[in-house]
Amino acid sequence: MSEANRERSTSSDGRDRPMAPPEGAQPIPGIFRAPGEEGGVHAPAHAPHGDAGHGHPPYEPVFTPGSKRRNELDEVLTRYPTKMAALLPALWMVQHERGWVSDAAMAEVADVLELTPAYVKGVVTFYTMYHQHPVGRHFIQVCTTSPCNVCGAEDVVEALLKHTGCFELGQMSPDGKYTVIEVECLGACGFATPVMINEDFIESVTPDGIPAILAGLE
Amino acid sequence: MADSNPTLVNLTIEGRPVSVPTGTTILEAARHAGILVPHYCYHPALPIAGVCRMCLVEVEKAPKLAPSCATTVAEGQVVHVHSDKAAEARTGVLEMLLINHPLDCPICDQSGECELQDYTYQEGRAEGRLRDPKRFNPVEDFGGDVMYTPNRCILCTRCVRFMDDVAHDPVLNVSERGDRALIGKFEGKDLTHPWAGNVIDLCPVGALLSKDSLNKARSWELDRTASVCPNCSQGCNMIIETRDNTVVRLRPRANHEVNQYFMCDHGRLSYRWMNRQDRLDVPMVRSGAALTGTDWELAIAEAARLLSGKRAFVLASPMLSNEALFLLSELVRGTGGTGSYRVPHGEEAPLAGVEDLARRADRAANGRGAELLGFTRSDAPLGALQAGDVLVVADEELAGVDAPDIAKASAIVVIGTTLPPWARHLAAVVLPVANFTEEEGTFTNLRGRVQRFMQAKAAPGFARPSWYVLSDLLAAMGGETGFVLASDVFAELARSRAEFAGLSYDTLGLKGRLIAGAAAPAGAGT
Amino acid sequence: MGYPHTPHARETTVLSKYFGDREAITLEGWKKRGGYAALKTALGMAPGDIVSVVKDSGLRGRGGAGFPTGVKWSFMKPGDGKPHYLCCNADESEPGTFKDREIMRWTPHALIEGCAIGSYAIGAETCYIYIRGEFTEPLVRVESALKECYAGGILGTNAMGSGKTINIYVHRGAGAYICGEETALMNSIEGRRGNPRIKPPFPAVSGVFAQPTTINNVETLAAVPHIINNGAAWYKQWMRPDNPKSTGTKLYSVCGNIQKPGNYEVPMGFPFKDFLYDLCGGPPPGRKFKAIIPGGISVPIQTVEEAEASLMDYEGFVAQGTMLGSGGVIVIDDAQNLVKQIARAARFFAHESCAQCTQCREGTAWTTRILERIVAGDGTPEDLDTLLDIGENMTGKTICVLSDSCATPVASGIKKFRADFEALIKKKKHHLVPAVA
Repeated sequence: MSEANRERSTSSDGRDRPMAPPEGAQPIPGIFRAPGEEGGVHAPAHAPHGDAGHGHPPYEPVFTPGSKRRNELDEVLTRYPTKMAALLPALWMVQHERGWVSDAAMAEVADVLELTPAYVKGVVTFYTMYHQHPVGRHFIQVCTTSPCNVCGAEDVVEALLKHTGCFELGQMSPDGKYTVIEVECLGACGFATPVMINEDFIESVTPDGIPAILAGLE
Repeated sequence: MADSNPTLVNLTIEGRPVSVPTGTTILEAARHAGILVPHYCYHPALPIAGVCRMCLVEVEKAPKLAPSCATTVAEGQVVHVHSDKAAEARTGVLEMLLINHPLDCPICDQSGECELQDYTYQEGRAEGRLRDPKRFNPVEDFGGDVMYTPNRCILCTRCVRFMDDVAHDPVLNVSERGDRALIGKFEGKDLTHPWAGNVIDLCPVGALLSKDSLNKARSWELDRTASVCPNCSQGCNMIIETRDNTVVRLRPRANHEVNQYFMCDHGRLSYRWMNRQDRLDVPMVRSGAALTGTDWELAIAEAARLLSGKRAFVLASPMLSNEALFLLSELVRGTGGTGSYRVPHGEEAPLAGVEDLARRADRAANGRGAELLGFTRSDAPLGALQAGDVLVVADEELAGVDAPDIAKASAIVVIGTTLPPWARHLAAVVLPVANFTEEEGTFTNLRGRVQRFMQAKAAPGFARPSWYVLSDLLAAMGGETGFVLASDVFAELARSRAEFAGLSYDTLGLKGRLIAGAAAPAGAGT
Repeated sequence: MGYPHTPHARETTVLSKYFGDREAITLEGWKKRGGYAALKTALGMAPGDIVSVVKDSGLRGRGGAGFPTGVKWSFMKPGDGKPHYLCCNADESEPGTFKDREIMRWTPHALIEGCAIGSYAIGAETCYIYIRGEFTEPLVRVESALKECYAGGILGTNAMGSGKTINIYVHRGAGAYICGEETALMNSIEGRRGNPRIKPPFPAVSGVFAQPTTINNVETLAAVPHIINNGAAWYKQWMRPDNPKSTGTKLYSVCGNIQKPGNYEVPMGFPFKDFLYDLCGGPPPGRKFKAIIPGGISVPIQTVEEAEASLMDYEGFVAQGTMLGSGGVIVIDDAQNLVKQIARAARFFAHESCAQCTQCREGTAWTTRILERIVAGDGTPEDLDTLLDIGENMTGKTICVLSDSCATPVASGIKKFRADFEALIKKKKHHLVPAVA
């Protein structure tokens, strides 16, 4: 689904997905027909596509032959009888190198694994852990599912929003340091409330403990 | 019924005994018994998905309802399609499909041919129970002729499976999860596959629509006629949909020997020429510098007069029917003349997932027919024209032909639907004929399949069916009395040409038949 | 209870014995604690004999379905010339459940040994451990343990010198509860969207990469080495005398409003009342239990009376109106808004629905909206009937049971705690103009 269409959609509430970068970014002219152009239907022009919007640098490939990640991917490919099976591992590698999975990244992965970009996109949009937008340097995920909810998870969320300066869930803080989202059960229900920050899994977080946790992040 | 054949399975569906081969699904078995199990995601040309859950049937002694599209038959099964349990399940599915649906039938093109409407009317709830805001996504342009309205989408995934498994071009996906899911594509990779428009037909609802057809007509206003696509030699079966004597839309018609359920986008969208207004609608004869309108008898008589004692050089269009080409070949034979044709060609565009189906390089319907009827194919079709011949140009525009080439002819008779520019000054007689939507006839496709096409609309003015005009011409030249029915012409063709022996309109039906000894055509192109 | 506490005296610590023991994480430490003796023994047995022992032990799938493990293994036909696969389901995402995480981060070698024995028993040379993407610590631990195993000759083309090939790989998930469903897990390993598949064909016939496959939970596989070492009879010592169908120990993950949340390992048939009040310390000070969900969010909610009468095994929970499921015990006290928590549970399912089946895709979201509207004070009396009817439509009609799982807390909640719902529903009709389909 195109980026702008997802923003317009009222079904996704952004609580489990990071949203597009904030206002002020320069939009790129849409790919749909200009008004009045022959062909009938004019679908709304969408905002940025690819990486060149929002002032991001153009995409640098991750799997150039001979690169560390390419070697890693080649090893992973030996574990499965099909190339397609290396898709999730490949996407993790891209996210670790570039911080998020852009359209250009999807195209590169598709090319390397002999899939179509549309197929890769279908997979990326299914799994919630692949970011389709750049996120804050510290990506914070708070579990608020029922077992943690009864233990005060929502208070943890409020405290995080307050102390990180994020105006709302899913939106990067103005200084680019944080993005906070709610996620579903993190599998640490007895250690409520668990919070993940990038790849760190922190247990038993309380609202009072948040300033100390944030202070420890660079 | 109780066959002891070990490969047949006997079961009962809605009280009817059914015997089908092992491995048949319950839904297909029901179809054989004449029972429709309501469904959306199932399609015989696509891999089974089993996701819409409409086809759930009650199987006695089974704990749960079975998805009949994905469940194979078992000996002795007793299946109920319309029991209370199955009907309730279907009503439940229909309600769920409609809760986020915009209910915009008044402005949706699919209205009148929408399976969501059909089943809801049959067994859906009269009122939905949603009291909350609906999910909304804006319309998207998928490229090609296809637009996508996510709000109407029931996520049956027929379109995704078609592009994956039939077109072998996986440019559509299911994006997102849960009730946020919708069909997606990759930015910049559009539905430009030459057969992508079939997703519009496959879509049971108004989610995927033709941009070309948008808002043009309501489906119940359209008359439907069985026909054959004339744009290449594949001969895909199609339906011509007309309203007020205008062709509004073309859609494929199923024929498992030719095109399965599909037709290519080019054929689908090439209908505007069928509605051209600059038509020849009155017979004309030259008097001095101008062509003047006259009546049929005089025009035919003049043409016959010009032809008598001369050789006829017939340049025929490979878009003409077998019937017209047959009569033209009789004209050639009777005057000791020559017949030739040329075929425009382009790149072949196969539908990879279907055997032997492609938009063919030969961009005309009846090249094979012309070849069988004795016409010579040539890219320089007037090369064999001899001085003194009467040039009969049958439905050819002769674009790119120079005046000196045709100056050799002693006279030029034009039989066609429109007046080529050069004919204004050079034609002696002009006979207006119907185009292929305005007459009935047959084409022979590249594999030698003779297929009927029926008349979909009326010809303008005084234009007549091509075979009718030609048979009158032959009669005026001393032949038998003119044919009155196209079937009579075909019968004569079948009688006198060995390849067509044994065929008749009755035996051709609407699926066609192969000529005797059918094999791939000789010569360049297919 | 395991880490961060010492086990309670009434626990039976088979799987959780070394929770919190840092030395147990390494290969050397694990070997000191008896590790890989079972694998050595197993590699000297015939695969069919291993299957028999496991069958005899009565071990049942600990991920939630409770299917007899030995029987599942016996579906893998030996000598069919096809590559067999074992998949370990470490996607633990059922709310309330956090036992597999502990097994993997404290005793990764226990899991690896179980996977190796399982692979050998079903004729598989390749095993994928599907770990959910969020389990960063278990991922590191298990990967590191695998490295040690390969370096130490335990895995690879000559496992423990037996000449047999056993390869175990970690496959990292990326955030999808539905990938814990066995056929969705296989699709995810194949690099597809995590959509469950229609059965038949069953995984043992056509599974991952269309080859015969068995999928087992982490806790199930971690029990296998103990059964090999000690025998089936040993494992069967833990059962109710009148119920031989449930044997062995079970790790229960306890969370919510309770004094001592954490993982507890008790034998089959343990009295739930003792468990809740004695082992887990009872409700927080000044509060009372209100509702208990013993098997993860997908099983019916119990009233306190039902919970106190339950015996903790598969049949015991069924007898008290619920199921053992994954053993994730969620405790809700009387200070909570139960309807809000049920709404949050519905929202969980709505987020996780894969979107294939109509009833699940639309029904989970619709259920969530109605419940959230009720919580916000905007409910109507008809809403409860509508919820129950939607739940009926969502049950038994879909490819997998996520749909049924969403309907379960709603139906059991309305049935057993109707007063809570009615209290939130205003008496007067609300003002919104109803949408008409």
